[in-house]
Amino acid sequence: MTHEYRARRFEVEALTRVEGEGGLIVEVRDGELADVRLRIFEPPRFFEGFLAGRHFTEPPDITARICGICPVAYQMSACQALEAACGVEVDDDIRTLRHLLYCGEWIESHVLHVHLLHAPDFLGYPSGLAMAVDHRAEVERGLRLKKIGNRIVEVVGGRAVHPVNVRVGGFYSAPSTATLRELAVELRQALTDAIDVARWVATFDMPDHELPDGTALVALRHPTEYPMLGERLVSTTGLDIGVDEYPEHFAEVQVEHSTALHGSMLAGGDYLVGPLARFALNADHLAPTAAALAAELGLDPGERNPFRSILVRAIETVHACEVAVAIAEAYAVPARASVPVEPRAAAGCGWSEAPRGLLWHRYEIDGDGRIAAARIVPPTSQNQPAIEHDLAHLIGHSMHLDDDELEAVCEQAVRNYDPCISCATHFLDMRIHRS
Amino acid sequence: MTTAPVVTVIAVGNPYRSDDAVGAAVLAEVAARLGDETRVRLAELDGEPVGIVQAWEGSSIVWIVDATSSDRPTGSLQELDARELGVSDPSWRGVGGGHALGLREAVEFAGALDRLPAELRVLGIEGETFDHGEGLTPTVAEAVSVAAARLVAAIRPHLERAH
Repeated sequence: MTHEYRARRFEVEALTRVEGEGGLIVEVRDGELADVRLRIFEPPRFFEGFLAGRHFTEPPDITARICGICPVAYQMSACQALEAACGVEVDDDIRTLRHLLYCGEWIESHVLHVHLLHAPDFLGYPSGLAMAVDHRAEVERGLRLKKIGNRIVEVVGGRAVHPVNVRVGGFYSAPSTATLRELAVELRQALTDAIDVARWVATFDMPDHELPDGTALVALRHPTEYPMLGERLVSTTGLDIGVDEYPEHFAEVQVEHSTALHGSMLAGGDYLVGPLARFALNADHLAPTAAALAAELGLDPGERNPFRSILVRAIETVHACEVAVAIAEAYAVPARASVPVEPRAAAGCGWSEAPRGLLWHRYEIDGDGRIAAARIVPPTSQNQPAIEHDLAHLIGHSMHLDDDELEAVCEQAVRNYDPCISCATHFLDMRIHRS
Repeated sequence: MTTAPVVTVIAVGNPYRSDDAVGAAVLAEVAARLGDETRVRLAELDGEPVGIVQAWEGSSIVWIVDATSSDRPTGSLQELDARELGVSDPSWRGVGGGHALGLREAVEFAGALDRLPAELRVLGIEGETFDHGEGLTPTVAEAVSVAAARLVAAIRPHLERAH
């Protein structure tokens, strides 16, 4: 008897066009997929340990440095957690200004991903740089949009990268009405550009693929808003919890091949956070133009094709522009830029929807306002198991491809999730002792 | 009437990665030496290429300040035309970001879109450690003033010509 043994193994040493540094290992034995591992080898980030002993006012500035792409998300989740610990609620107009700031970050992040990281896959280019040569008008339009996102973050957050105007309790200062009216004019043009981007993305040839059946979609939910700042965490499997209940339903585990912790649902099964999940659970709260465009372009809440997440990002960009226009046009300078926050010995949790999905923070502080413990659960670490299982599912249907083709489709599939490895690789057990 | 800044100085790095913070430290000293000079834009960025290209928009003279990691002596300064990044000396290839994309990609991207300034220079300061934590190592900290003085000396003639 002859036994035909065929082994295929490919390794993507460094995944390009993802935020941070990671790799991918796929092993196929006897024609069957044996192993898929998303390998994250950027040095662990020690931010949680680094925060211990710091004053409770510092996390918005320190955690903003975890990621240059989504600093606002870190600031918003940190502020909410620390305000909860101190028993403070911000005024409605401060919350609205936070919502505007978050719109800026979503626009910046989504536009960068759509144009320079993911569109090249669909249009057959090895990089955003190569694509820019042939699709200059589209890339220029993307740069205009990213610039308006930067502008929002600069106006509200104090500067375009790593904003400095955010504080626990609100902002150090609020922008003038005149500044936001000027911004509103620019945002109207940006909304037109964002609609054109979504129509352009909808023309891409999307591979026919669906998430594995068991993957739950998890996102924040707000009574009236598409969630950047949500109130409850819901899922396609019936979950509906408050922010303090998160640890009772989710955990993080260390795996050998990654310096990022892997998220897991204690009830079992994979779960996915991010645009696809947000849209599935909140499409009814999209702003009117974004909602109409999603319907026109054939997106519905039942969408489970991760390759179409690029289209969801484009729709969310339209939504962010539309919400930003509304806020900027109706803006009046808040009565106060921040509410007073006095520390007390307590713990508090906060969450928000980073561009890549749910970002949960928890802080314990003492009576002097020193941080005793911090925990940060970013979206990419939550998504990592689901990404690996989706890749396994995809590869299982793609065995007919040669290695180069299979490698290309796997890289494209990883980029469906816009993983931010820089965010994911912080480390839970680090301790820093200060004398 | 406001006009676009003549010169943009961009510091790249992370203040929580030891000597990676040297660019920001140099930028702070340049700011102190220039006072309220409105014709110079100062920006502190994390190295994302599109952000770098957008930060220098409107300026004809651009300087990037960043930490380097090579076999050069700690605290030593290296200067070159950014268009030569990764060409003359491969040790420069990773400059401008710990991510897969960096300053070299920013330069190529800007070139493809005709967004390169007339002059684009890089000043690198050789770091000793890039571990997590705050604070520069002593030799790198000593280089901050030297680097800032060099930058200001390079910038001033352009400002005088622009009068």
